[in-house]
Amino acid sequence: MTSREGFVPAINSSAAAGGFSNHKTYGVKYICASCAATFTLGKSESIRCKECGHRVIYKARTKRMVQFEAR
Amino acid sequence: MGSASKSGRDHKHSEPDEAFNELLKPVYKGKELTDKIDTVEDKWNLLPAFLKVKGLVKQHLDSFNYFVDRDLKKIIQANQLILSDIVPDFYLKYTDIRVGHKSNASPDAPIEVLLPPHECRLRDITYSAPIYVDVEYTRGKKIIMHRDLEIGRMPIMLRSNKCILNGKSEEVMASLNECPLDPGGYFIVNGTEKVILVQEQLSKNRIIVESDEKKNIVQASVTSSTHERKSKTYVVTKNGKIYLKHNSISEEVPIVIALKAAGIISDLEILQLICGSNQKYQDIFAINFEEPLVKHNIHTQKEALLFIGERVKTIRRFGAPKLSKLEEGIEAVANTVVAHITCEDGNDLKEKGLYLAIMARRVVMAIENPKMVDDIDYVGNKRLELAGQLMSLLFEDLFKKFNSEFKMNIDKTLKKPNRANEFDALLTINVYSSHISHGLERAISTGNWSLKRFKMERAGVTHVLSRLSYISALGMMTRISSQFEKSRKVSGPRALQPSQFGMLCTADTPEGEACGLVKNLALMTHITTDDEEAPIRQICYNLGVEDIRFVDFSSIHVAKSYTVHLNGTIIGLTKFPGNFMKLFRFLRRSGKISPFISVFANSYQSAIHIATDGGRICRPLIIVENGISRVKEEHLRKLKLGEWGFDDFLKNGLVEYMDVNEENDSYIALYEPNIEKTTTHLEIEPFTVLGAVAGLIPYPHHNQSPRNTYQCAMGKQAIGAIAYNQFKRIDTLLYLMCYPQQPMVKTKTIELIDYDKLPAGQNATVAVMSYSGYDIEDALVLNKSSLDRGFGRCQVLKKHTEVLKKYPNHTKDIVSGMKVDAETGEPIWQHESLGPDGLGEVGLKVDSGQVYINKCIPVNAGDSMLGNNPNMPNYGMGNHRETPVYYRAPEPSYIDQVMMSTSSNDQSLIKVLLRQTRRPELGDKFSSRHGQKGVCGIIVNQEDLPFNDNGISPDIIMNPHGFPSRMTVGKMIELISGKAGVLNGSLEYGTCFGGSKLEDMSKILVDKGFNYSGKDMLYSGITGECLQAYIFFGPIYYQKLKHMVLDKMHARARGPRAVLTRQPTEGRSRDGGLRLGEMERDCVIAYGASQLLLERLMLSSDAFDVDVCNQCGLMGFHGWCNNCKTSEKVIGMKIPYAAKLLFQELISMNIAPKLRLGDVF
Repeated sequence: MTSREGFVPAINSSAAAGGFSNHKTYGVKYICASCAATFTLGKSESIRCKECGHRVIYKARTKRMVQFEAR
Repeated sequence: MGSASKSGRDHKHSEPDEAFNELLKPVYKGKELTDKIDTVEDKWNLLPAFLKVKGLVKQHLDSFNYFVDRDLKKIIQANQLILSDIVPDFYLKYTDIRVGHKSNASPDAPIEVLLPPHECRLRDITYSAPIYVDVEYTRGKKIIMHRDLEIGRMPIMLRSNKCILNGKSEEVMASLNECPLDPGGYFIVNGTEKVILVQEQLSKNRIIVESDEKKNIVQASVTSSTHERKSKTYVVTKNGKIYLKHNSISEEVPIVIALKAAGIISDLEILQLICGSNQKYQDIFAINFEEPLVKHNIHTQKEALLFIGERVKTIRRFGAPKLSKLEEGIEAVANTVVAHITCEDGNDLKEKGLYLAIMARRVVMAIENPKMVDDIDYVGNKRLELAGQLMSLLFEDLFKKFNSEFKMNIDKTLKKPNRANEFDALLTINVYSSHISHGLERAISTGNWSLKRFKMERAGVTHVLSRLSYISALGMMTRISSQFEKSRKVSGPRALQPSQFGMLCTADTPEGEACGLVKNLALMTHITTDDEEAPIRQICYNLGVEDIRFVDFSSIHVAKSYTVHLNGTIIGLTKFPGNFMKLFRFLRRSGKISPFISVFANSYQSAIHIATDGGRICRPLIIVENGISRVKEEHLRKLKLGEWGFDDFLKNGLVEYMDVNEENDSYIALYEPNIEKTTTHLEIEPFTVLGAVAGLIPYPHHNQSPRNTYQCAMGKQAIGAIAYNQFKRIDTLLYLMCYPQQPMVKTKTIELIDYDKLPAGQNATVAVMSYSGYDIEDALVLNKSSLDRGFGRCQVLKKHTEVLKKYPNHTKDIVSGMKVDAETGEPIWQHESLGPDGLGEVGLKVDSGQVYINKCIPVNAGDSMLGNNPNMPNYGMGNHRETPVYYRAPEPSYIDQVMMSTSSNDQSLIKVLLRQTRRPELGDKFSSRHGQKGVCGIIVNQEDLPFNDNGISPDIIMNPHGFPSRMTVGKMIELISGKAGVLNGSLEYGTCFGGSKLEDMSKILVDKGFNYSGKDMLYSGITGECLQAYIFFGPIYYQKLKHMVLDKMHARARGPRAVLTRQPTEGRSRDGGLRLGEMERDCVIAYGASQLLLERLMLSSDAFDVDVCNQCGLMGFHGWCNNCKTSEKVIGMKIPYAAKLLFQELISMNIAPKLRLGDVF
């Protein structure tokens, strides 16, 4: 795809601010791509599986409710 | 048929190449072993057998394998020694080189690659293996051997013999997240898949004779290419005389002088060599003896060498000794002219003279008969350069650079007067190892091949492997790009050459500027790699060829005596050409010499040519002897039983490879009944004239040829399944079809390339009729209920990559958490789909304007490290600025995957994959497999669509006006075959020059109670009455193309403007305006709507208020003219900002545009 494509509607970025930042890590679950172990990562920890040391990890699927529009 | 395909489904997942097991099973396509084997019908089974050993991308793999296994060793040998200028007894010698394994590794040990390929893709790393060398060098007085020294890393071609996927079973592939159907043949560099396209070139080291009849010039040229240099030598006519021309010689040298310089001194010998006893040739050539004698007075070799020596353009390297004129002459003749002929002892230049004489003879022949010129577009005169050759050029260049830098370092160290300990050369070698790795990596990732040695500067050698669909990836691997300029208006190189038959696909070429220059390989082709010349030369002598070095020149051009050329260079004479060729072919057929060596006779030149060089296209053919095909029933039975493979056919002399030149010298029957007494070969399958992409078309032999070409372009844009690992891939852009189907009407090619396993399209029930008027200009009417059922539904996956950088002052990018509303504690709207870690939650929806990576970069990233202690207590959020990644699109997406990893330089890498599911909408593009594209014009409720007496209503209504002018009869036959297949419960074939016969299909239709022509009686969905005509109604395979309205829709009222001109921006990505262009402007002018023109071009674009001083004509400011220092005559007016900018720019270059204002009314 050329750079011309890819739609960008006008937004005013000033609206981005507002609200307080939330620092607590609620223990987001990550899954190792190699051994499928589930674990959490701290802020300063390196990206690495805690079980096998594999360096590709995926974020686990959300626990929040997801609603799809069936069409 | 149905039971056969069912039994074929249960794979055994143990051996490699499962894909082919089906083809080798006892029951295949309804045929059992006990069935009678019909050689006419069943010889096509050789094709899957061929593809099993050779595969579609085998040319790339073979070329790369040759490079890593053999060419590397040759390069090492050619650049073996590193000597020091300072210490004479120092040396370092490379003894061996290996890629991927150490010297003590067992032969079946896995290749030492850093990471499996899929992990390289995910982590943006290069898939490479270490290059080990063994060296021998001196340390002090001792000679030290060192093994397994790593000098760099080599990017590895997937599926080559240095790839860990080589020969792996489907399960192992699956465990490595690889698709077993993926062809391989590409590299992974920095996470992107790169293909080195096949490059087409004129063959090297061969004489090409051309003539320009207008200018009355005939020239024979040869491009000499050796490891050291590349040069072009010409033998040209000028005023009826023949000259030698070379870039390094300042003027043309009369051919007689050149020959004398090369040691053919007597005029008689020259005449014998060039003309033989042919009176006409002698008359043409005789004039050439005059000039050297009369004008230059040259008789001896020394005089001739001096003559050339005086005319050599000398570019002496610094420090090289100055040569005398004579030495210059010898140097020129021995090393620069026709450089690929090497003169071993430097003095015996006769062979070179012989070569020049043959060039001159070809020129004389072309003067006598203008038809004796070569066709440069003839495929036999082309060579294909593959990844291996290009990599080898690059590697040799880098290796030489590596060695010279290493040598410089050694010299520098050795120069130091007193060293504390003995010098060990290996301590410094590792410094330069990154140069080779980076050089290879950079060349492949940018596609810029710049080699100092050959002054080669080639851009665009590599391309990103297109993963739009399985077919587009496959099509890319068989693509051949030509070196020809696209802008030149010559038809020759673009035209379809008859010699392309069976070698290059006749249908698959792009439309437009690259038409005919970009080609594709046919299905059953192979590209040769280099073979050793010396043994072949010896074999020739053993077969009775008289060595040219010991032959009297007078006997060369005797009638019935043939010259024998090995790779274009004359090596001898034979009196029995037929016998010699027969024996030579016998050796090849019995496997004594490489099957890819070709031999053919040219009766016009009375020459036998043997070619062992790489880059020739060739294909297998069945050998016919005495009017009988060598492949017999028992052989095909063995093939079916799995006892024999393709190589056994080759070994037993039943099948052989033919290159274009040899093919041109043989008599090939298309079908077995066509075999005559003189037939030499039999075609294996005629549908192999098409390539992989054109092979998808059912009944292509019934279509108008451009339609097949259009389909070849569109087949690559079709959305479908990409690979078995498609959901594990994180690509920049991935289109996937939700419910792909294999086509009802298949071809044999479809099965061979596994398109039926990774299809891109669906079988739509099509009614060919007019409906609603929203179907004009190829628009399609779609059934809304079909869309609800999933017709044409696809997914679009887009990747966004974010790298968390680390800065020199120990600060780094971070991902901060989400922001919450102060009162409710809920996340603010922008951060709604973020998780607490600041990354999008997998599975959540992101709307336009929402954030899915909340990245923050340090404010003081540029500061020095001093006085900024990261361990300070207030270090943290306060020092970072938010640079969130917003989602911007007209439709929301869902977060599909969030991957985190570290890239090669230890920076955190975050890849977020966003998913959209799209159902077809108005304006989405569809196409059948016959170059018949159309957009969706209207979506109609099923109850309003016509239906037949079974209650079936169409998925698509196509306007019949699409047929008459396009003449895609194949599409109609596809419909009938498809309909018969549906009724019969079978998959029908539309293979080119074969396939299910229309008559049989009609028979099935009649048997099932339908009209033989495929027409049905339909009822109107609106009135319920039956339609006034029978409607052509049945299944046609439809592809959804990647062009979708959602990616293109754009409108704007007001929006951003460019900073410089204050005019609206351009392009959809910048939310640009819609331009009222020059032609539209012309219309408005012609109409006389001046106020509209003013509004469009100025008021709605870049109107600007200026103050113009009517006194000096320049622009003022705030009602004040700074030039006249008065506000007296300053008038405010509106002009385009661009005009104001122009005035100011003119002023800046000392031109003062002045405005004079006057009253209009």
